[in-house]
Amino acid sequence: MASLTPSMRQFSTCLRCVRQVPSANGAQQRLLSSSAAAREEVRAQPTASSTPPPPPQSASDASAASVQEVPEFMQKWGKLDPETVENKKQERRLLRREGVQPVGSRRRRAALRMSAVRKTEEIPFEQLPYQCFQEARKFLQEDRQEKLKEIKTQQQRIQATAESNASVQSKRDRIARMKMHLNDLIIAADINDPVVKRKFEDGQGDMNKPIYRHLAEKKWREFKRKVLEQRVTQLSVVPDLLGSLDLVADIDLSFGRKTVAPGDFVESDISEKMPTLHVQTFTPGEKLVTVAVVDADVPVPQEDGFTTRCHFIASNIRISPSETSIPLQRIAEDDRKSTDDKKVALPWVAPWAHKGAPYHRLAVVVLEQDQAKKFDVSKLSTIERDGFNLRSFVGSQKLKPLTATLFRTKWDESMAGVLERAGLKDQASIEFKRKRVEPLPYKRRTERMR
Amino acid sequence: MLLPRILAPVRASVQIPSTFILPASRVIDALRTANGASAHAPTLSFVRHSAHQAQGRANGAKDGPGKRLGAKKSGGEYVIPGNIIFRQRGTHWFPGENCKFGRDHCIFATESGYVRYYKDPLKHPKRQYIGVALEKDHQLPYPRNAPRARRLGFVAVPVTQTEAEAQVVVNDLQVGEGPGSDSSIMDTPRPAKAVAKAKKGYAFREANWAIGRAAEKANVQVKKFVPGDRWTAWRKSNARIQANIERKKLRNAGKKTAKPKKRQQRA
Repeated sequence: MASLTPSMRQFSTCLRCVRQVPSANGAQQRLLSSSAAAREEVRAQPTASSTPPPPPQSASDASAASVQEVPEFMQKWGKLDPETVENKKQERRLLRREGVQPVGSRRRRAALRMSAVRKTEEIPFEQLPYQCFQEARKFLQEDRQEKLKEIKTQQQRIQATAESNASVQSKRDRIARMKMHLNDLIIAADINDPVVKRKFEDGQGDMNKPIYRHLAEKKWREFKRKVLEQRVTQLSVVPDLLGSLDLVADIDLSFGRKTVAPGDFVESDISEKMPTLHVQTFTPGEKLVTVAVVDADVPVPQEDGFTTRCHFIASNIRISPSETSIPLQRIAEDDRKSTDDKKVALPWVAPWAHKGAPYHRLAVVVLEQDQAKKFDVSKLSTIERDGFNLRSFVGSQKLKPLTATLFRTKWDESMAGVLERAGLKDQASIEFKRKRVEPLPYKRRTERMR
Repeated sequence: MLLPRILAPVRASVQIPSTFILPASRVIDALRTANGASAHAPTLSFVRHSAHQAQGRANGAKDGPGKRLGAKKSGGEYVIPGNIIFRQRGTHWFPGENCKFGRDHCIFATESGYVRYYKDPLKHPKRQYIGVALEKDHQLPYPRNAPRARRLGFVAVPVTQTEAEAQVVVNDLQVGEGPGSDSSIMDTPRPAKAVAKAKKGYAFREANWAIGRAAEKANVQVKKFVPGDRWTAWRKSNARIQANIERKKLRNAGKKTAKPKKRQQRA
């Protein structure tokens, strides 16, 4: 027991008082919350239940790539298992070295680790010997069966409506309504399932299934979307670049490994390379999207106003609920190699700002292409960058804005170098200074004014 | 003259058949009814009004000095940033486009343009706003989903100097090589108009805050004071003592030093 970390020791004592099953009784000690995970593992690899399941595909790729150049100090951290890391330090190290999020709650990971230490027998979820628990499960099962039956009848109803000889208009409306109800039923059938809940919380939910999409969207709308919406409106992306925008997909923006919160200032040498987007859609099916990066604050000193500039357009990018990543850097590289299947219409121009000028907002907009039709990229590449009008672009290409985010740029130390590399060296020698507003002419106080 | 009229109802009541004698209490009742019935019966009431006000007013003075509230700029008038458009107590008006609230809810312009008084039901159904339209022909409120009308307010000029230069590090406030040299504080350019009249007296002098900023403007950096650095302290105090000695010598240069008096030899 001395080898255990303090948090675990507490947990074990706690468990002991909950369950007074002495090991002398013949039955081995079991843990309350370890079994849920156990079932999954038992199915996957019946021999070694304590070893972790393979991490998700992308994560394993990342870790495999980074294995070669893991620094020495990181190797000293030892083995870090996403299933058993249990304090903040270890979690941070895991994220830093392996790039993997820990699984489940800290409490559960502690329990898992305990069971591994004690070599307890893992009981499948269904066979847990708690009467109340099993009764509750039975109840939920019954409810699920009921819902499944309803789904079947609803499907039959839809079929019957489709075959009936009502008018096309009324048929379409009724079927749409019935399908909405069907979707609700499908969600309701699974929403009380503890396994579903656990998998979702572990981030292992299959986004091709409606229930996980539903849960993810609910979670997204609870906080993240609100923040994004606030940034997009308060930083005036919405009236300046687009008339209106209903955010329907989650978006994450990152330059290299550095994630950028919506509206953050990004240093110019970092934004010289293209960002990576993660766009999580919550509606089924694949979509073709166009990504546009537009600067909304290009100063025009002659007119004493602002104009826009397009920094990047890429089209025909495939996304789906399970394929969320849009690595623009890689897309551009692939584009350069291949002759057919072009994606990049306007190549990346590093965001830049004049010295002393007010900050530039660079909006990253993800636009869904109409009916997933492919664009002819060569036609798009004739678009004028300066004075780019996103509204008319969206209108003429029949695009539908899915989501948007933004970052900001202003003059910094590395900007001069960025401008030189972009071939805009003459712009680095221009500085912006506040224009003096002429005061109103002084009015003499006359007798009438007194 | 007065008395008979008052007594008239009494007489009337008394004139009821003399044979019928009322008890004394009933008589008074009868008197009362007779008196009360007549509306015209005047009553004698003596109120003495005060000739002088005895105490202060209950609810305070009603008519203090005016606070000069209200519109300072009318609709359509040209304003520049900082101009106060409306003074008010509370928020009768709210700041709209290119305007802000002041400390006392006064509304001032943040852009130069033309004043507009308007309502914006999409923003708030009841509030009335004061805004500044950037162009004379603009109407407020601007349409909701149109790009904002904004002004750059900057001019592009060639870059004059970088921050790297002109960093004078001053050692113990001994500036530069001396007066007239490049690094001297006196040589740094100053705005000519900074001279303002002081509040009292006739002398023109710079404001105190401007004097306090002099070193900052000249980019002077003083060596940091390190508490407990005895070596520097000793050096400085020594230098001061030496300077004082020098000064004393200079001061006394013209004077004859008093010779010590000769001791008179006692005979």
